Amino acid sequence: MSALAKENPMKQFSKHSVSAQAMVDAFKRCGIDYVTTVPDMVQIALHQLLDSGESGLKVVHCTTEDQAIEVAGGLYAGGKNVAVIVQNQGLYAGINSLRALGLDSKVPLLFVIGQFGREFSNLGGNPRDSKRRVVFLLEPLLETLGVPYWRLEGPDDMGNVEAAWKASRERSGPAALIVGHFVGW
Amino acid sequence: MKTLDACKILDAHRDDAIVVCTMGAMNALDKLPLNPLTMACVPLMGGAASIGLGLALARPERKVFVFDGDASLLMELGGLVSISHARPKNLYHFVFNNSIQFAGLGNLETPGARSADLVAMAKACGFEAAQRIDALDDLESRLKGILAGPGPSFVEVVVEYDAPALGTENPAVEMTDERFTRMGDEIRRIRHHLGCDAAVAA
Ligand SMILES: Cc1ncc(C[n+]2csc(CCOP(=O)(O)OP(=O)(O)O)c2C)c(N)n1
Repeated sequence: MSALAKENPMKQFSKHSVSAQAMVDAFKRCGIDYVTTVPDMVQIALHQLLDSGESGLKVVHCTTEDQAIEVAGGLYAGGKNVAVIVQNQGLYAGINSLRALGLDSKVPLLFVIGQFGREFSNLGGNPRDSKRRVVFLLEPLLETLGVPYWRLEGPDDMGNVEAAWKASRERSGPAALIVGHFVGW
Repeated sequence: MKTLDACKILDAHRDDAIVVCTMGAMNALDKLPLNPLTMACVPLMGGAASIGLGLALARPERKVFVFDGDASLLMELGGLVSISHARPKNLYHFVFNNSIQFAGLGNLETPGARSADLVAMAKACGFEAAQRIDALDDLESRLKGILAGPGPSFVEVVVEYDAPALGTENPAVEMTDERFTRMGDEIRRIRHHLGCDAAVAA
């Protein structure tokens, strides 16, 4: 066990985290001005920053993921740039709205999806090898839906925020950024 | 009151409002002259009010009307809370309550048709105003006042329904391709009309 891990065993996983501020900065580089969301456990630090009012991004709090996707569709119709922040369970809950607005209607939508429930032993490994269905189903499901995705597994992957955003604009449809571990404060 | 007659009155008072319609109200608006600021939420049951919320937040300078169905509202009932939480002053949510689903097609009773109080729900969720209108002349006389008041505003419009078209004589109805493409086309038409694409390119 490393000295860091001995001092606080949780800290050994921090290399898999990106900070909330780094995510907000990346959103801003994309030109995103709105977030719609039902909150996700692994992105609590990001939600707290967004809710503080200090991020410069506007947040629409919804009571279902269907609504979060639909509000994003309405904001897009009105000319805004939106990120939809949900967890893996939320993506599963919102599939019909994703199908209608993202796929059939070809509305560019950036999904930021937290991998809730991922066992720490899987960090640094392949989320498809997770023992948890809620985790390992996500990528194959996105493939079935024809939604391209990028993993955010640590600070080295920060460029994937812009890559996913760009893909959503270029293909005019949904694209996903999968947040693999707790966002840092 | 007939849905088409109610839609005619609402359409006459819309000025430069954006309209998001669904279900029976969509079929009615399809019979009126096309307005480039109208979009249908289809096929996406329950989505109209939240799409309207997004539009209302994006375009605070103009009114947004939502023409919803009763069963559609119930499918995303928590959306009333999302709306009141976001407080869009320019959002007017009209629910065409005929107490049935698949109106004019199969006429199946909506759960709660005889017991649920939609206006009380909207009030309890924190809408600025909520009322029930069940006569066409009432709609005509009260609409100006409703639209002069602040949103989010909720209006339950009680409407009749036609006999079901499906049955032994007419056992199936095919969906056209357009039903699956029109929502996106109408979203892009609204963006174009509002000058959004130019703003993005600039
Ligand atoms: C998620 C989902 N479940 C079921 C349906 C099938 N469906 C289509 S229309 C409808 C009823 C709509 O009723 P209402 O909103 O009251 O409109 P009306 O038919 O009265 O105009 C249902 C259940 C659907 N489109 N989507």
